[in-house]
Formats: sequence, C-alpha cells, structure tokens
Amino acid sequence: MFVYEKKLQYPVKIANPNPKLASVIISQYGGPDGELGASLRYLSQRFSMPYPELKGLLTDIGTEELGHLEMIGAIVYQLTRGLSEEDIRTAGFDTYFVDHTAGVYPTAASGWPWSAASMQVKGDLIADLTEDLAAEQKARVTYDNILRLSDDPDVNDVIKFLRQREIVHFQRFGEGLRLAKEKMDQKNLYFINPSFDK
Amino acid sequence: MYIEKTMMADGGAGAQPACQCSDREGALPCRCAPLAFPYIPMQNNSPKRYDQRQALERGTLFPGLDLPFHRELKARFPSVNSALVELMALDFAIDEMGLYLVTHKDDQEALELYWSYIRLAKEGRKKYEAMYGPLRQTTITEGGYRWLDDPWPWEKGGNS
Repeated sequence: MFVYEKKLQYPVKIANPNPKLASVIISQYGGPDGELGASLRYLSQRFSMPYPELKGLLTDIGTEELGHLEMIGAIVYQLTRGLSEEDIRTAGFDTYFVDHTAGVYPTAASGWPWSAASMQVKGDLIADLTEDLAAEQKARVTYDNILRLSDDPDVNDVIKFLRQREIVHFQRFGEGLRLAKEKMDQKNLYFINPSFDK
Repeated sequence: MYIEKTMMADGGAGAQPACQCSDREGALPCRCAPLAFPYIPMQNNSPKRYDQRQALERGTLFPGLDLPFHRELKARFPSVNSALVELMALDFAIDEMGLYLVTHKDDQEALELYWSYIRLAKEGRKKYEAMYGPLRQTTITEGGYRWLDDPWPWEKGGNS
C-alpha cells in the first residue's frame, strides 16, 4: 500500500521557464536511466528477494525513487509554464511540444518513450543487485550531464540533490550484496540461486 | 560483526583485528574473499552526521558519503526557512537513517536517533498541517474539507 503525502521530498522552485532545458531533463522522468524505471525496477525486483534486508532496501529505495519521479515532473512542469510562441519553437523543445504540448510525458530526451526494455528483473539476487549498482551509476552520470548542460541555479540545486541520492543508494545496494553474501554459500556463490532454489 | 563471521565461515583460521577505518572509508573483509563477487565496503557504525537541515541541502545525512560533482557551483538552495523546509529536512533525515538501518540493524545509537527524528516530525507535521493544510488526504482539518486546496506540490508556491 502506498500513501500519498502532499509535499515533495526536496523543494523545487524554478524562477525562469526554460523549455530547452526541460526537454533534456525529461530523460530522468522516462529515459532509460530515469526515476520511473528505477522505481519499477526496485519495486518489482523485491518480490523474489530471499532476505529481509534486501526486501527492505528495494522497498525503501524504490519508494524514494517515486518521490524523485515527482520532483523531476515538478521541474519539467515549472520549466514549461507560460511559454511564448517563440519559446515553443525553441530547437529541442519543438519536437516534444508537437506530441505532448506542455504535458509531462515519460520519455527519453532522445525521443524513445519509457520502456520496460530499459530495465530487468532477473529473479536472482546477485544479478538483480549488480544491475541496481549499475543503474545508480548510470543515473548519477545522467545527473552529471544535466549539470554540464544547465546554467540554471534553481534547477542545479535540485539535480545535485538527486545526484547525491544515487551515490547513497549505490552504497546501500553494495552493503546489501555484502549482507546477502554472508548468508550464501561461501565457497561457491553460484552454486544455487537463493531467490529460486529451496 | 560481519568480518568475524566471514572469517569463521572461511575456516576461522586465526583471529584478525577488525579494520580501523576513517569516516570516508569502510571495512572490506580483512582477509581472503571469494572471486567473481563485487565488494562495496560497509559503512562504519555510528558514522559522522550532518544536522538535518544541512543534510537536506547536501543530499545525504553522512559527510563520508557526500561526494559532489565539480560543476555544482551554480546552485542555490531556496533561502526560505519555512515550516515546510523544516519538515522536509526532518523527513529526509528519517528516510536516510531508515535506509542506513536496513543494512546496519545493530547500530543502537542510529536507531535511537531515528526514533527521535520520527517523534519530532510527528509534532512538526501536526503544526504544519494546522497552519497550511493537510499533507494527507486522511488528515482531519478544522473548517471543512481542504485536501483539494491549491497549490499542489509541483506548483508555484507549493514548496514554501
């Protein structure tokens, strides 16, 4: 069960609209390394996790990512308020505008709509947690790249918060792997799949 | 502790002292470890902490995990010191500590701190809702139904 709280995890207050920047940031909404994929990946992987620490990690981090999805949506929304005729012709934003006007649609900046093909649920804890480590790093790099492309201090403030969260999550997933290994066969980790075999 | 257990599982040959790690480091197994398995060091118990307001600004409660990107100079944290930002800071400390506890369930000091944050946030949430309206649809508000009142969190004014 999820309960909605009518506040963001971190304040989003963008003073100036910037449709071009919005058309880049949308990638963290529905791109291959974005927050939607992150939350669905973790909240789906958790079902087959054999150990309580891993169920807990994937539940907590998957839930936090839903909060981040809302923050990214808020950035895109605020960057696309009150646009002029000229604004909607901005190179980069015009192709988004023609399909979605100023709505917030889960797509990669490069135009590919959000797809479950950008994530995996393997049903094996080593494979899934190793994917999660990589996913956090890929999201971190996307935030690095947004910081390279953005000169808006209001946007950067939120992006650097989200970027830092990826680093903390990477650490926790790594610790989760360590704790899992402690419970697995020490000599041959690949002997069984504790997510499946009894 | 994890290290001792690993040693025993590996045959328990000879006690080795646990690694003494700084706040920016963590313990790896101090002796042999299986091949073909990635290792992230465990964060030490009772790691150094920011206060909750600074934690919200930095994006983590833990200075040891605070690893910023070089191009963050042009960023401004909303200077408002509003009731909402205070509550966000407290709730963030709760989220961060809760996540830490998932992999450090024996850290008693962290658990006590976690619960003290939760008690504070319970109070803060009540005060905030009395002044600015409900945070949950199920909050009972004086003077009638206020759940639908603008602004919503993503709108201008929804964050102050």
